[in-house]
Amino acid sequence: MTPSALESAVRAAGARIVAALAARFRNLDLAEEAFADACARAARDWPQGGAPDNPAGWLYRTAERRAFDALRARKTRERFAPDAPEPAPSAEDLLMDDNVLIPDERLRLIFVCCHPAVAVEARAALTLRLVCGLSTIEIARAFLITEAALSQRLVRAKRKIAQAGVPFEVPGPDAWAERLDAVLTTLEVAYAKAHEDAAGAGAHAGYAEEMLGLTRVLADLLPTEPEPLAFAALVRYAEARRPARLDARGAMNPLSDQDPALWRRPLIAEADALFDRALATKAPAPRVTQAAIHRAWCARQSLAEPPPWRRILALYDELLSHGDDIVVRLNRAVALAEVEGVAAALAEVDALNSPALQQFLPYHALRADLFRRAGRTLDACAAYEAALALGPALAERAWLQARRDALGQSGRENET
Amino acid sequence: MQYMLMIYEDERIYGPDKGGAAMREIVPRHMAFGKELGSKRLAGGGLASTTAATTVRTIAGKQTIHDGPFAETREQLGGYYVIDAPDLDAAIAIARKVPVMKDGSIEIRPVLVPPPAMAG
Repeated sequence: MTPSALESAVRAAGARIVAALAARFRNLDLAEEAFADACARAARDWPQGGAPDNPAGWLYRTAERRAFDALRARKTRERFAPDAPEPAPSAEDLLMDDNVLIPDERLRLIFVCCHPAVAVEARAALTLRLVCGLSTIEIARAFLITEAALSQRLVRAKRKIAQAGVPFEVPGPDAWAERLDAVLTTLEVAYAKAHEDAAGAGAHAGYAEEMLGLTRVLADLLPTEPEPLAFAALVRYAEARRPARLDARGAMNPLSDQDPALWRRPLIAEADALFDRALATKAPAPRVTQAAIHRAWCARQSLAEPPPWRRILALYDELLSHGDDIVVRLNRAVALAEVEGVAAALAEVDALNSPALQQFLPYHALRADLFRRAGRTLDACAAYEAALALGPALAERAWLQARRDALGQSGRENET
Repeated sequence: MQYMLMIYEDERIYGPDKGGAAMREIVPRHMAFGKELGSKRLAGGGLASTTAATTVRTIAGKQTIHDGPFAETREQLGGYYVIDAPDLDAAIAIARKVPVMKDGSIEIRPVLVPPPAMAG
């Protein structure tokens, strides 16, 4: 069955329509309600009368009229102070290209959703809902909370935005350092949710695609800022490797074992172009270094080529120069083991004694691997068990179990 | 929009009855800040310390009078401004400049405006 004209229009332009309405009326609920109303009318009228030539344009104009009607009904129209007088729907409108007719206000909306005055735990969900157009059920699944809890979080965040007077504006460049960081951190949280499951099952697959679109919007609209460019590159490098993240049995495949022939080269080329633009700004920033690490991996052409460990180690050192971070130190230790040997890496990891690490799966997985390579089979076994006890996703579990089981066999061989 | 900026600091820093050296230092800074705000400042003032506070509490229709503030906290409400600002970002920009002696917090709260029907 082919999707209806309505489904196609909603998928192609729904998020942009909601963003344009929200920016115009400075009211998130009104924008969502008016758009839902326009969709309901389309679902009723189009099957009989036929879909209009420009379905997205029709939805935008209809939703805009619905919003004005709703404001009039509430008799509070003057308080909302929309940008311009009510549009007279015209035949020309519906012939116009949607890209001209519907202003792209997604960037404004991203800054609203990621405002520091919005609760941290609501920002990513709100962005995915309003800017990417994901359904509450999809977002709830990604964040492992119930749909009811998620809806409540969204309602609270939207109420805060309305009551506190969060402006529907892109902040001036003097405020970017703080505001852009909040936006990028939110997008990182959103992307980490899409990325952490190597299998990319269920809701995550389409959502990772949305992240490609969203990071592109941010990079295009702030073309001279290095971090949005670098983050857009990073998401592309990571997504390019998705086809190689699982082995034939569905277990996780570590980066150094992935066959570069399976990586999506066109996406890597796109990432390279964005990364080069980030570098051209000549402004060092941690996210540029993070993207450089991904770039170094994606430059590998085949399994025959040795992994770029020396380069990776140097980049982790550079990343630490931007600020000390325990997770960065852990990742650096992986490269250190390859360049300077297992003993050096173990010393480094032992020095990272933080209680928070006990709950961090990659910490136990790394220690297990280092112990295994150092011949400390019992320690390795305990570390694999500690990692498995933290409840990894299926693909990670399969990989950890295979490693632990192999350890048991080689351990027995050593004993006999 | 109207916002109230509530200034929370550890009041002990201003000495008993807010008569210490820190008070003599902060007052002129507030005067200068108020001048800088100009017409954006709708109201404002400093409060005597919580030792001067009295609370009228209503529980199940019954009123009682208590010595002391509504709640014992590490930082106490010590003063406020009511400002006129177009949006939260403008209010935040003003709140950042409110003088504090050392550590402190400025809580920003929109002042409710009556809906047009009630205002008329």
